[in-house]
Amino acid sequence: MDRTLVDFVKVLRTAEISVSPAETLDAMQALDIVGYEDRQFLKNSLSIVLSKTPEEKEAFDSCFDRYFSFNKFKPEESEQESTDDQFDDGEFDQDAKGQGQPGGKGSDQASGQGGGAEAGEDEEDQSLQPTSELGKLLLSGDRTELSIAMAEAGKKAEVNQIVVFTQKGLYTRKIMDAMGLKELQDEISELQAEGGRERHNLAAKLKKARDRLREQVRDYVEKQFFLHADESGKQLREELLKKVKLSNLEKRNFKDVQEVVFKMAKKLISIHSKRRKTYKRGQLDVRKTLRYNMQYDGMFFDIKWKASKVDRPKVICICDVSGSVSNYSRFLLMFLYSLAEILPKVRSFAFSSDLGEVTRLFDNSNLEDAMAKTMRDYGNGSTDYGQMLMDFKHQCMDDVNNKTTIIILGDSRNNYGDAKSEILREMYDKSKRVIWLNPEPKMSWTVGDAEMKKYAPSCHQVEVCNSLTHLERVVSNLLRYAY
Amino acid sequence: MQWLYNLHPDSHNDAPSTFEASADLRPPLSAGLSKQGPFVTIKNHDRLSSVEVIQDNFEKRGYICNQQIATAVFLAYHLEKPILIEGPPGVGKTELAKTAAEMLDLPCIRLQCYEGLDESKAIYEWKYGKQLLYTQVLKKTLGEILEGAKGLTDSVAKLHEFGDVFFSEDFLEPRPLLKALKAEESCVLLIDEVDKSDHEFESLLLELLSDYQVSIPEIGTIVANPDRKPLVFLTSNNTREISDALKRRCLHLYIPFPDATLESRIVHARVPDVPERLRTQLVTFIQELREMDLKKVPAISETIDWARTLILLHTESLDSELVRQTLNVILKFQEDIEAVEAEIQNVTNKALKQ
Repeated sequence: MDRTLVDFVKVLRTAEISVSPAETLDAMQALDIVGYEDRQFLKNSLSIVLSKTPEEKEAFDSCFDRYFSFNKFKPEESEQESTDDQFDDGEFDQDAKGQGQPGGKGSDQASGQGGGAEAGEDEEDQSLQPTSELGKLLLSGDRTELSIAMAEAGKKAEVNQIVVFTQKGLYTRKIMDAMGLKELQDEISELQAEGGRERHNLAAKLKKARDRLREQVRDYVEKQFFLHADESGKQLREELLKKVKLSNLEKRNFKDVQEVVFKMAKKLISIHSKRRKTYKRGQLDVRKTLRYNMQYDGMFFDIKWKASKVDRPKVICICDVSGSVSNYSRFLLMFLYSLAEILPKVRSFAFSSDLGEVTRLFDNSNLEDAMAKTMRDYGNGSTDYGQMLMDFKHQCMDDVNNKTTIIILGDSRNNYGDAKSEILREMYDKSKRVIWLNPEPKMSWTVGDAEMKKYAPSCHQVEVCNSLTHLERVVSNLLRYAY
Repeated sequence: MQWLYNLHPDSHNDAPSTFEASADLRPPLSAGLSKQGPFVTIKNHDRLSSVEVIQDNFEKRGYICNQQIATAVFLAYHLEKPILIEGPPGVGKTELAKTAAEMLDLPCIRLQCYEGLDESKAIYEWKYGKQLLYTQVLKKTLGEILEGAKGLTDSVAKLHEFGDVFFSEDFLEPRPLLKALKAEESCVLLIDEVDKSDHEFESLLLELLSDYQVSIPEIGTIVANPDRKPLVFLTSNNTREISDALKRRCLHLYIPFPDATLESRIVHARVPDVPERLRTQLVTFIQELREMDLKKVPAISETIDWARTLILLHTESLDSELVRQTLNVILKFQEDIEAVEAEIQNVTNKALKQ
């Protein structure tokens, strides 16, 4: 029984509910008290022990329903007529269409042919019983038994290890084998070989039962796939997205990327929002100090200050939005705005030649729109870093102080114009940090019209940045230095 | 004179003292519980024997709860784990803890969290005043104690013989958490709005929540009576994310807004005078409001307040004029009131149709 629970916890983890081993132990204890009798009670209990946010609870509910769903076996041959309808509007629609309908028609014909023989079939059954285990089970019509056998076989075939869609056939086969398909096959061919109407009838019956079983097993495997593999496949995809070069991303991936960025941002928030610093100077808190120092006989030994202030970084972000770099800018901005909780003061500027502030635009509209508008307004024209720096000096230099971090994202390709690196130098002197992110590999930083050589000495940090992982590292560093 | 001493609880006699007698006064274990649960023997524990019993008992005390809530209380008791209750304000998180205390007939010790709350407010503090006073008074005695001591080493050695008198439990001012651990016959400990406290305080709670103990440097570790661990409720309004470490140690219960049937039952339990027709109407109205885009949607407590208001006004049935006049009972922001006013006629009609 513990296996079941551990398996279930694994399923929960793939659905992004983080369950610690200690919580698993708690769940086992809860299980001892609650038992398996009352489904709703069990569900509530496990939900209380294992899922710890409203979102997790929702995910838990669906996982529980899927994991502890009882694999209903479709009714046996004798109830064929009524089942055929269920087949068609049941949830197994697509699978059933492949085999169920022709099978169903076949059985109709069969019953039409043997209209008179129908009554006699029962007698035949008694005289001729299948010998193989699986055959007996199939014809006994005990669906519960069959479900249990299937689940057991699934366990033996380790169906919970399924990873990709294409493995479905393999696992179906494995489960069928584990249930004793071979013996059944042998029996069928034996019966057919021996001849005789009764034997043929039985063989046909077994065949039909076998086909239906296969269908159900396939169904079962499919369910298991969704349970165990679908989410981990998603995780795999997300991992890949983090590493792929941002310029190679296709438009259809943007939504996924956005999700990944939000997740990363959330992680950063939870790491960094906890760091608070008690200021070592400021106003003396007389009352607190007196109270704390009473134990030292009134000597002011441990001094308390009034303010315990959280120092939040001020970030100014300058993004090149010319064609080659715009994708990177997009994700950097996405990152920074996802961090609004701990980075309340972000000013962002976009340029290709003239610099323009887009802070409000990003505050007010969603990322897609904001990015599109930015591209429309600033995206055209050839890149001119010198002009950008001049504009920055006019617009924003007064706002830069020793708490400001300036991030510049661009490839520094200046079209052989005036680099104006002295302005960057001024920014370097006035601000806390200047970080330059360059999406190009280091080798090409000095090739052609790239001016990295001139700009780099006036930056505190120069980094290659072309994937989400890079971005995350940069933003994380930014937050670390900010305190 | 021997028999007289026996009556005194502090006597260190070999004769059976009142201490031992008290051990037999413990309530006997019920057979059913001892089989499945831990040997917790708090008062009235039979009222926690199953989910249905808990629901019934809560209902008797005017707290209508669904199966989830009762299950949480049930598990909290049997697994000896604290419950972290989350949910929008006004759905009865604090009330749950209070009702549980009432049901078990145990004292409810409450710790209201706020920014800057620290251990001297939550766990213990030394009675500095008393310490100072005593040292002043005992200055004379000090001379007597040190009599005959030669040199500094000797004096200090002599002082050491007396131990840390001034840092003993007599000089300890217990705060809620310590009180809860030391409670004679267990208690319900309510740590209210834990999200308002600082991260440091959250970490401070970890020891208490996982092991039911606190460490005081000068004295040592104080552990709750293993048979009578307090039942701990923590509530949070989700103003900030609670740390994983804390969540891991707790059961987690999320109380959402109730559905119409449950809310109607709650109103019935709290304000029994409301006629059924009006009750359905006002519950429907509130449920409709929760669907709207408001700054703060009305919670259960507001529904109850409104029901009381309507009773005071001798209302038989809702009408839009009345709703307009009493809207400030259920909505607490002017912009919300303005937003709803335009829709009043609509929503009232819907409620009346029910």
